[in-house]
Amino acid sequence: MADPAPVVTTLGGGWYLVDDGELRWRVGVAGDGDTQWVFVNGQVAVVDAPKTGRRRAKHLDAGVMSPMPATVVALHVTAGQAVTEGETLIVLEAMKMELPIRAPRDGVVKTVACAKGELVQPGVNLLEFE
Amino acid sequence: MTATREGGSIRRLLIANRGEIAMRIIRACRERAIETVAVFSDADADAPFVRAADQSVHLGAAPARDSYLDGAKVIAAARAAGADAIHPGYGFLSERAHFAKACETAGLIFVGPPSSSLERMGSKIGARRLMLEAGVPVVPGETPGDQSDAALEAAIARVGFPVLIKPSAGGGGIGMKIVRMAPETTDALAAARREAQASFGDSTLYVERLIERPRHVEIQVFSDAHDNVVHLFERECSAQRRHQKMVEESPCPALSASVRSAMGQAAIAAARAVGYRNAGTCEFLLEGEGDTAHFYFLEMNTRLQVEHPVTECVVGVDLVQAQLAVAGGEPLPFTQESLTQRGHAIECRIYAEDPAQGFIPQAGPILLYREPQGPGIRVDSGVTTGTMVSVHYDPMLAKLIVWADSREAARHKALAALRDFAVLGIRTNIPFMLHLLEHPQFIDAAIDTGFLDREGAAIAAASVTELPPAAWAAVAEHRRRVGTGIGTTPSGTLDTGAVDPFVSLGGWRG
Repeated sequence: MADPAPVVTTLGGGWYLVDDGELRWRVGVAGDGDTQWVFVNGQVAVVDAPKTGRRRAKHLDAGVMSPMPATVVALHVTAGQAVTEGETLIVLEAMKMELPIRAPRDGVVKTVACAKGELVQPGVNLLEFE
Repeated sequence: MTATREGGSIRRLLIANRGEIAMRIIRACRERAIETVAVFSDADADAPFVRAADQSVHLGAAPARDSYLDGAKVIAAARAAGADAIHPGYGFLSERAHFAKACETAGLIFVGPPSSSLERMGSKIGARRLMLEAGVPVVPGETPGDQSDAALEAAIARVGFPVLIKPSAGGGGIGMKIVRMAPETTDALAAARREAQASFGDSTLYVERLIERPRHVEIQVFSDAHDNVVHLFERECSAQRRHQKMVEESPCPALSASVRSAMGQAAIAAARAVGYRNAGTCEFLLEGEGDTAHFYFLEMNTRLQVEHPVTECVVGVDLVQAQLAVAGGEPLPFTQESLTQRGHAIECRIYAEDPAQGFIPQAGPILLYREPQGPGIRVDSGVTTGTMVSVHYDPMLAKLIVWADSREAARHKALAALRDFAVLGIRTNIPFMLHLLEHPQFIDAAIDTGFLDREGAAIAAASVTELPPAAWAAVAEHRRRVGTGIGTTPSGTLDTGAVDPFVSLGGWRG
């Protein structure tokens, strides 16, 4: 027995009332790009549109990135240095908290692309491995 | 007695703060017919508190040291705006004696204690010594005058592991480091100094014996210029992560009437010992529970606390209005005999942080924001839809405070309110908070200050997002309306029986 199709009423301001035939749900949705944020009953999820082939996962271990805008407060490695997985490479500070950036794997540092005191952005390599 | 207007001598007040606390102070001023002046940094030009104030003055660049921490700029702004008083809120300049002194020199009323009290309590090291003299119990520890690594390491060795390294200035757990083994000492000292210097401009450290599994219980005190000192009972703040409080409540379920009374008297003695005036909080560590519990003075917070609404709900007072009255020279609006605790209040701090990623603070635009409402529900917030959450300041967005007849009723009210609290665009701790409030140890009120550091990751991992199929139908409709998205169903309905939302909508991340 198939469930009946849910009926969606647009409430405005990103809010939708969804009647699934049994219960009514108030759902909040936001975001106008390929990514939407969705809220229902205190739960939050991020929904990505299906990817169209481009992947960046293969570069994931080629370097390390900051998860957010932050300031570099300590730099523990230099180019050419061998590091082991879990070793602290860089210490960032954001929102008054220190965030250690650790080596994702064993390797040798190829280049260091940030400097102490620098404000760094997410998604940009702070250093690269060979 | 001459007739005075509401608010005593204060006519126009500058708020030297931002976010939810600036909004809170503006509300109190409105009720007392005091005009308000907001100050703001580049990052806050469009913030709700700037719009809510009667006037606003731009201070400078986004980093706090160029704006909210620049006392000279704040005082110049007060002069330019014709303000006669400054409320510092919490954090920033609130506990800086030199700033209070500068206000006094400039002829501005500082809504807080006299600079002399701040000097004596602002140094946590000095406060420890004063409390020992006043007969208030303190945690065993050392306060080395020589701040070299060698001297601090020697002090640590004498206190014995595990120890807690603490900055003499500041609060909020910033710069505090637990050291369990000697080899960790050098790194911990360096990190503590760095964080203390960056946040407070003072890298002086001291050392205390680490009391394992204590509760954090604090007493609200209030005194005026007419020699009245009262306490307004306790707040239980043990639910904290890395010394950053997450949930506060009152009354503290572990406190017996006799220990509550003894702590209240100790807090009053502490306030008297420093000639305190206005609202303050004595923080204690509580070891054990019931009549056999021991308490140790930790520090006095010489300001309004983030968690002050918990006391306001349970005691039935307005602490910010009382601050304004006392700062204007009026006597306290309440006496010790008039104060009682009624019902139970719980505060949940809503942080822009991602519990699934080790509670990393989040920055970015809030795309959708809606606060819960209802009887016994209060939200103090500084954001709205469209607010850009900045990397420059504390990640606390809002506070949810609920009040009900009993602890269990308050807990259920908090859960219902959290389920109705929508923040989209950045991750918050709301889903985490829903699980924390359902944790057996929270239900049993058996939480110590280390609980979230031990269990936080497990609670975050258990906070798995389970969206009903209805959510996918709403996403599909939203995509149709905004004209984006690939692979959504063409109509406003989604046949959940036949269509796999993962296929039609793409991947999702709880």
